[in-house]
Amino acid sequence: MSLLQRVKNVVRSRSIHVCFVDVGSCNGCDIEVLATLAPRYDIEQYGIYVHNNPREADILLVIGAMTPQWEDKLPALWERIPEPKAAIAIGNCPISGCVFQRRDTYVSAPVAKFIPVAAEVPGCPPRPTEILSAILSLAPTVFKDFEERRR
Amino acid sequence: MKKVVDVSFPVGPVHPCWKEPVRLKCETKGEKVLQAEVELGYMKKGIERIMRGRPWQEVMFLAERICGICSVIHNMVFIEGMEAMSGIPVPPRAAYLRVIANELDRIQSHLLANFSYCYTIEHETLGMYLLNVREKAMDLLERLTGARVNKAYMIPGGVRFDLQAEDHVIISSTLDQIEPDIMRYTRMFSEGPLIGLRSRGIGILSEVHAREAHAVGPTARASGIRTDLRTQHPTYQKIGFSPVVRTEGDNFARVMVRFQEVAESIGIIRRCLDGLPEGLIRSGGVCGAGTITHRGEAPRGELTYYLKADEYGRIVDISIQTPSIMNIEASAHYMIIGATSLADVTSTFISADPCIACTER
Repeated sequence: MSLLQRVKNVVRSRSIHVCFVDVGSCNGCDIEVLATLAPRYDIEQYGIYVHNNPREADILLVIGAMTPQWEDKLPALWERIPEPKAAIAIGNCPISGCVFQRRDTYVSAPVAKFIPVAAEVPGCPPRPTEILSAILSLAPTVFKDFEERRR
Repeated sequence: MKKVVDVSFPVGPVHPCWKEPVRLKCETKGEKVLQAEVELGYMKKGIERIMRGRPWQEVMFLAERICGICSVIHNMVFIEGMEAMSGIPVPPRAAYLRVIANELDRIQSHLLANFSYCYTIEHETLGMYLLNVREKAMDLLERLTGARVNKAYMIPGGVRFDLQAEDHVIISSTLDQIEPDIMRYTRMFSEGPLIGLRSRGIGILSEVHAREAHAVGPTARASGIRTDLRTQHPTYQKIGFSPVVRTEGDNFARVMVRFQEVAESIGIIRRCLDGLPEGLIRSGGVCGAGTITHRGEAPRGELTYYLKADEYGRIVDISIQTPSIMNIEASAHYMIIGATSLADVTSTFISADPCIACTER
């Protein structure tokens, strides 16, 4: 393993920038993602920063059941995130559509039809601890030795 | 007329300050905002269309998934509407427990709104303090209802879980803990000189403009309009409370109204716990046919449900009016106009506590 790769591994393990995008949820998962910022869960002690800016994000949290407005915007937003990157689906909505996936609705779940989803956290809504542990367990599998594996 | 704007400045839909997607288009000259327009439609799921033709047992769960932050009040207004339509009595203990759940929900919603405002004006310390207090309110809600966000606590003819004796003790002791904290944070907010510079006299909504935009809830009460639907609710009338009204109409007043309402809610919960009647929490009943328009005071303002059901309790027609749409209108067309800095645009918009999930459904 090259020195550069080792330095990158160390840096990336403690610096994960998160962007969350709501593609049509009920707001329940949004406030649970925000609750992870609270001193009780304290997402920043693990080096995870919620910036909500796709251009500097490493992990995209997708929340919601995919409304028609987002069908072209979400892949475009995914393109703006620099490599290495991963998407996590938070809640039942991006996985299955939850209660919104019925006749006569506007939603087109799952989100995996539009962007590659690396991990899913089911729940309506999931607890903040579950969101936190999903990010922490996914991060090493994506970011560790990223350049070496790619070669 | 010739357009004299320099830059058409779009904010959103994905923006560090926004929790939910909404686009705000500001026509600016220098840093002065001349005109602003809101573009909605990023979260339209058509939930009213899903609700039509379904039995109330399903619509009850759909109703609280209109908005995750204020899910209790959506549940409460829908269930009270069904009860009023079919003449189902509510036991007094259940009515008090509903008020406790609703006020705890109001506390966490207001604290989250004030956190967003503090985060937007980059005062993260106060924001984190508020989020920490909010977690305690969420714990109480979980203890009372069994879930953090989507609770489905109320059902026609009562509530689902009783308040045990030990819960009674824990709720009152936690309220004793958080009340001095809230007082301290309110003082921090009202006396902080830098917060004052970012908040006082910015985003002014006069009473005339608030009435023109049909502003509701804390946004209207911060502009001097005395409107609170809780004063017309029978259980609240028994418990007794007075709405919080301020007259400044700026960002500072809107956040302070929410802080004072949290203190008011703590008082309401205490009076509920003291006078909690004994007896049943569910009395049963059958939902029947009828048409009704029922209102309730959500954390953000007046929430209206129009319900039409058939004799089997199936929802034939439903139409919902949520408070945020009026406050967004007031925010975009009156508060933001004349903002002297683009940094004030986001904080002014957030100070009206817009909930896009409610608005678009």
